[in-house]
Amino acid sequence: MEPQEAAGAAGGGCGGAGLLELELPRRGAGEAGAVAAELEARRSGETRRLVLSRRLSGPLPAGLARWFPALEVLDVSGTGLAALGAELLELPRLRTLLAKNNRLGGPGALPKGLGQAPLARSLRVLNLSGNRFAELPAALLGLRGLQSLSLGGNRLHSISPEIQALSSLEFLYLGGNFITSIPPELANLPSLSYLVLSDNKIQSIPPQLAQLHSLRSLSLHNNLLTYLPREILNLVHLEELSLRGNPLVVRFVRDLTYNPPSLLELAGRTMKTRNIPYAPSDLPGNLVRYLSLASNCPNPKCGGVYFDSCVRQIKFVDFCGKYRLPLMHYLCSPECSSPCSSASQSSTSQSESDSEDEAIVAAHRMQKVLLG
Amino acid sequence: MEQPVQTEVWKAQTLQELIQILHRLFSSDKVSVEEVQALMESYESNPVEWMKFAQFDQYRYTRNLVDKGNGKFNLMILCWGEGHGSSIHDHTDSHCFMKILQGNLKETLFEWPGKKGTGAMTKKSERVLGENQCAYISDSIGLHRVENTSHTESAVSLHLYSPSFDSCNTFDQRTGHKHKVKMTFYSQFGERTPGATAVSQENN
Repeated sequence: MEPQEAAGAAGGGCGGAGLLELELPRRGAGEAGAVAAELEARRSGETRRLVLSRRLSGPLPAGLARWFPALEVLDVSGTGLAALGAELLELPRLRTLLAKNNRLGGPGALPKGLGQAPLARSLRVLNLSGNRFAELPAALLGLRGLQSLSLGGNRLHSISPEIQALSSLEFLYLGGNFITSIPPELANLPSLSYLVLSDNKIQSIPPQLAQLHSLRSLSLHNNLLTYLPREILNLVHLEELSLRGNPLVVRFVRDLTYNPPSLLELAGRTMKTRNIPYAPSDLPGNLVRYLSLASNCPNPKCGGVYFDSCVRQIKFVDFCGKYRLPLMHYLCSPECSSPCSSASQSSTSQSESDSEDEAIVAAHRMQKVLLG
Repeated sequence: MEQPVQTEVWKAQTLQELIQILHRLFSSDKVSVEEVQALMESYESNPVEWMKFAQFDQYRYTRNLVDKGNGKFNLMILCWGEGHGSSIHDHTDSHCFMKILQGNLKETLFEWPGKKGTGAMTKKSERVLGENQCAYISDSIGLHRVENTSHTESAVSLHLYSPSFDSCNTFDQRTGHKHKVKMTFYSQFGERTPGATAVSQENN
């Protein structure tokens, strides 16, 4: 959501230093010309905000930057524009561009050269919600100073990994699209603090998302998530997390499609768990490399390692019986699990209230997030 | 509140007038729910009149106190950014009126969870409220979740609570478990309350 200055609820009217709000005539021949004429008539080197609020039959007039060189906020939402063109490229001070509810999304919807224009450095807020974008427009990847981007309510099926180029991004709104997965590159946005992915078709969250150390608010409601990666407990600054409307697994689930480990895997495990010494000259290079890839079983009570073969296990982090968050764990074998569940035969109710020691600490942090 | 023998029909031309009539109505011992609801609906939202109370937070919805109703009620304006929603909550034995001043809000009604709160909560109904419509809820009707489901428009609503309350229970939809939360104001009478962040209620 754009900052308060641009999210004004008030109606129109001229007045207020630097604000020009233009109401356009409903119809008339040569309407595009009428718009240009009226804007030119009101040209000013002091106008800082321009709001156009009626339907336009053509593109924005080319003279926009000449008539309003000091423009900082431009709102062309709901004007029916199918493309934003070169008229934007000359606006040297534009900080906020609102173009919601238009017909943008086809090729050339944003002007080429956007990344080289003066506004590539000045633009902080871009709102393209309620348009027809099927993918992240490449033209905006050069907006290095962009802090807030909204593409809510478009037609995105995926998020391009190139989004990591928007290195100043703090606020990213992608709710209400058709997104099925999240690229791990999203985690490379160092300042991201507000991420909205609600009302999409997302089935899983990449564990790399836990690297978003600045994340304060994560909106995941109304997706297709059945579990979350356990790394999500690492998001220590998270204050708000929405999960409703996901088919989150409620009962303890074991992955029954565990594939038995290969001979290579078993040999590797034996080498590691018995600390059989070896030197690089003892083994072919590929086996030396293989042995270096051993992962420790996350069960702290188990000293086991695994290479490729592991059991996905959904573990519930229980907050004093009030909330259950299914987290994905990887264990080295189906027999490996925390002591309580392996000791008890009645697996369901007992194991639902299990928490590993380390998970309890992280759980307290997440509890604060979820329960306020 | 009871139904009086004759229900007066009030029309509030401005927000100030609405507040004045509310003060008059609530000064009596018997106040009618229908009368208050009709009065709230009669006011045609004029953004110029309530703009100063409409202070948004980018992370979550805000509660902005407008009037303290001489201790009989609290009148406040809630600001919902795109996608902002509340938890499922109760109303601490109070009457709650909610009028849309701008945009749309979806209200989902839930049954009270059973004893011990086991199992998923039962949805009763849902509806989308449009500008100037006024909904009413109390604990005897049930629980609700309110959300701005729009990804492009923000929403503003006017709430009246009588008696006023500063804490309520939020409920986990998946289990019915409840948790008491304290509610705070983002701004009071148009002034930002220093140090108070927007309400961080469970939004699950």
